[in-house]
Formats: sequence, structure tokens, C-alpha cells
Amino acid sequence: MADVVEQSSDPPIEPSGGGSTGLRARFRRYRELDLTEEELATVLLFPVVMFLLTVSFYPIVDTVWGSLHTGYVLEHETKQFVGLQNYEQILNSGRFWNALTVSLIYTFVSVPIELVIGIGMALLLNRAFKGKYFIQAAILFPWALPTVINARIWAWMFHGEYGVINDMLVKIGILESPYPFLAVPDAALASMLFVTIWKTSSFMALIMLAGLSGIPSHLYEAARMDGASKWRQFRDITLPLLKPTILVALIFRTLPAFQAFGLPYGLTGGGPAEATTTLVLYDHKLTFNSLAFGRGSAAATIITLIALLIALIYVGTLYEPEVS
Amino acid sequence: MSTKSRSFEIESFQFVGKKVGFYGSLLILVLVSMFPVIWIFLTSIKQPGSIVQFPVQYLPQNPTLENYRVALGNAPFFRYLINSAIVAGGTAILDVFLGAIAGYALSRLRFRFKLHVLLLILGTAMLPFISRLIPLFSLARSWGLLNNYLGLIIPYAAFQLPFAVWIFQAYFKELPDSLEEAGLMDGLSRIGVLFRIILPVSAPAMATTAIIVFIYAWNEFLFALTFMSQDSMRTITVGIALYGGQFETPWGTISAAVFTSIIPLMLFMLFFQRKVVEGLTAGTGKA
Repeated sequence: MADVVEQSSDPPIEPSGGGSTGLRARFRRYRELDLTEEELATVLLFPVVMFLLTVSFYPIVDTVWGSLHTGYVLEHETKQFVGLQNYEQILNSGRFWNALTVSLIYTFVSVPIELVIGIGMALLLNRAFKGKYFIQAAILFPWALPTVINARIWAWMFHGEYGVINDMLVKIGILESPYPFLAVPDAALASMLFVTIWKTSSFMALIMLAGLSGIPSHLYEAARMDGASKWRQFRDITLPLLKPTILVALIFRTLPAFQAFGLPYGLTGGGPAEATTTLVLYDHKLTFNSLAFGRGSAAATIITLIALLIALIYVGTLYEPEVS
Repeated sequence: MSTKSRSFEIESFQFVGKKVGFYGSLLILVLVSMFPVIWIFLTSIKQPGSIVQFPVQYLPQNPTLENYRVALGNAPFFRYLINSAIVAGGTAILDVFLGAIAGYALSRLRFRFKLHVLLLILGTAMLPFISRLIPLFSLARSWGLLNNYLGLIIPYAAFQLPFAVWIFQAYFKELPDSLEEAGLMDGLSRIGVLFRIILPVSAPAMATTAIIVFIYAWNEFLFALTFMSQDSMRTITVGIALYGGQFETPWGTISAAVFTSIIPLMLFMLFFQRKVVEGLTAGTGKA
């Protein structure tokens, strides 16, 4: 190891005078490592590709394979081939359909709202002002907050008897007395949506900010000269040029939202009456509480297929090969 | 003259109004963003009795550190923090290294099947984590990696690798060709160029990758919960999620524990916020 370090600290050009033979020999060895681009690419990508094949692709295949078997997580050897029986059970289970509904509502209500709020925040932040970085750090903070810790904080704020949200709503006059937000199915789902929108809008804002900074300012100058209103400028310049960014943001956010786990786990534990049990939480319970390996794998495979479908739909409808 | 000065007055009034509106909205944004943390802090220094009362007591009377004493005394709290730091740090180091070499190959070398490799790497980003949980759990169990730092570092690194590769290849694409040509002319091999010229100038990409991967690994919950069943191996997120009684939740001590765990994060965001922003925006602006 020391040898390598020493070697790499040699000057790249062979000293013309007084170079020791040891140095020259080492330098030659170094030259012998010269590879073609193709070989070098193979050397550099081999570990990465192997790593991904082992840790990302093999498990997917194994999950699909496992979904065709029955057995328990901790007793791998008792697996028995059962064909599509696990899928049949999952698709006939009301709990699966409930979880799917919860996940779809969660994803397709929260992400569009986050996007709109994020664009608004980005438009507000897209200028130079004093203390910009401090304020950005504060605004970005919800995104960096661990989801499950965030969930615990909001569980306390939404508390049915002593929660500060209740107190504020009572003081404003919206509520007459504390409301048990997390104990009523619809209210619990709405609360969960509120928390995730609160947390993730800042992340959306950040991505939108990057997109905004890529729009050349002379377009706005020209529009202003033509007397275009702010709204026209937004509709005809900002929005169309922001489209690629919006696509990236939607994919970035939709797939994680579809896999929500920490928030329902920490906020409500999936309750009440499974009103906030998302697909991943359902699958996790199925796998690790019931230890049903086969059905857990079948559910995971279904989740994967839906996620890929969502990604394909997004890319298919929103992706336009760039003109430039 | 008078109309002119009046229009000037109106304009300056509008100007001030706009400024007030702008800074007012910023203030509201900051307050809304930080309120839960402020609230947790206020709860954490309240007397146990005044935590559970309605109407809510906003500012604590007789603030106390008792909750902190209980929270930090009972749970292996610092152990959780150290576990998280090791896992997140290890993941960040692994991904910076793998992301840099793969990003270099994909952005600056010509070779066959480049598109396929790129699609393979980025395609894994689309796959749900749950679809890898059960097999990786079995693998980790048979390799003795449950309740082991590597048991989390390896999957985390794999899951964030597409992101790391993306950041690096976007960064390397912007570098001028002359940089490599100069190195080759000076007699360096291509590997020499990579390690002695390209990697040293890629410090910004390394920093952003490291920070964002670190935050991901610090915050991850699904795998951390499943793979670390032993209390002494838990990460901070799992430690806090499982903290507290089953039936009666001790909100005062939980608040103290939560606030303590957030302090490093707040400092981190304050110091590295620019890097985070640069990193998140690197791939999106120039799609």
C-alpha cells in the first residue's frame, strides 16, 4: 500500500538528469498499466456492474422466484413451489386493495400539490437577497429531517388531546374542541398527506430552482419589452422551459412516495383501521410479522410492476427529445 | 410636477410594499419550515405536567433539563448516533469511490455497450426498495451481516449508486478535454490521468455526492429497522422510532431525544446547504 502511495507521488515526467534507476524502473511499471479506452472502461465499470448485479438485480430476480413459492422467511429450505397461488391470495385480499388505494391516494394527491407549492417557493427564492443561504438552509431543513423522526414529531403535534395543531385550530375558531386527527380514518390519511407535503415541497422547490436558473434571462427581457404580463411570462416562458425539470421532479418524487414506509410507521402505525397502511407497510407487516415469505415476495413483485408502470407512463407522456 | 412626484410616491410605496410582501412570505416560509423543530424543543424543556395540558402552554414556565437527563440516560442514545455515523459515513465513502470511477468511464471514455451499462445503472434507481428487502435479508443472514454495519452499508451504497454515478458523469462531462490531453502528453497513463488529474479536480462532485448519500443513509428506515434487531446496533432513526412505551408515550423524553438527534443535522444543513443545493441541481438543470 505504501508503495502505491509513493509511486503515485512521483513526478509524471521522468527527470532528465540524475534520475535513479529505481525511479526509472518504477516509472516504467507505471507506463505498462497503460490501457486502451475500452479496457480501462471495463476495469472501471466491472466492480460497479458486479456490485449492482449482486445487490440490486439478483434480489429482484430472487423476489420474483420466491413469489412462486411458499414458506417462511427464516426457513428458506422449506420453500415449496406453488405457482401463482401467492398472487391469487394477494389479489383476493381486501387488505392488499386497501393498501394499494392508500398508496395511490397518498402518491397522486401529495406529489402534484408538492409540485405546485415547490414552483411557487422557487419563484419566490429565485433572486438574490440578503441571507439567502441561511433562509434556504431553514427551508430545506424539512427535507433533510429523517422521515420517521419527522413522523414522531407530527404525531405529537397532531395529538388528539394535547396537540398544538388542535390548540391553534381551536384558538382560530375552526374547531370548537380538540379533534382526534390520527384516530379517525379519513382525518389520519389527510394528516399524513399534510405532513408529507410539508416535508417534501422544499425538495421540489430546490429542483425547480435549478430548472429556473437554466432559463436565459434575455427571454424575460424580450417578453417585458413586448409588454407581456407576469402571468403571460410564466405561462409562455417559465412553464414550457421548466417541463424537463418537472419531469425529473415527478419521477424523483412519485416513486419514493409510492414506497412510503417511515411516515405511516411513525405517525399512525398504519392505523386507524388500516386507513394509512401503505403498500410497503402492508408488505413489511406481511413479511416480517406473519413471516409469509411467498406472499410477501408476491406483494413486492406487484409493487415493483406498478412502480415500473408509473415510471414508463411518465417518461412516455412527458419526455421529449431535446431540440438543442 | 405634482403628478410626477405623486407617481414617484406611488411607485416607491409599491416598491416598499413589494419588499414587505417578499420578506414577509420568506418569514412565513421559514417559520412554517422550522415550527415542528421549535415545538419539539419547547416541549423538551417543559415540566412533565405542563406537557399534557389543554389549552397548550406555548412558552415553558420553569424550563427544565429533566427530559434530557431521562432520554440520554436511559437509551443507548450516543451508541445510536455513532452507529448512524459509521453506516452513513461508510456508505458515502463507498459511493464516492464507485460513483467517481463509473462516472468517469461513462462520461469520458468510448466503449461498446455504453448505453446498456448506463441504462443498467440508472434503471436500478427505478426499482422499489421493498423488492430487494427479503432476498437481501436472507443474504445478510447467511453471510452473518445482520446486526453488522456492512449489512446496511452495502445495500445503501447500491441503492444510491445510480445517483452518485449521475452526479459524477454530469460533472465530468463539463471538464475540458485539454485536461486529459495535457496529462497524456506529460506521459501519464489513462489511469494516471484519472487518479492524478481528474479525481483531484472533482472534489466538488465528491462533496455533493458524499453529503447527499450521507443524508440518505442517516435517514433510511426500512432496512435499518429490518437488519438491525440488536438494540446496540440500531441507528438513530430506528432508535427514536422504537423509543417510548407501547401504551403511554412519554412525549417529554421523546422530544428531548428527537431534538438532540436533530442538532447535528441542523449544523450540517447550515454548513453544507450550498453543497446540497448544488448536488441536487447538478443533474436536473442540464438534462
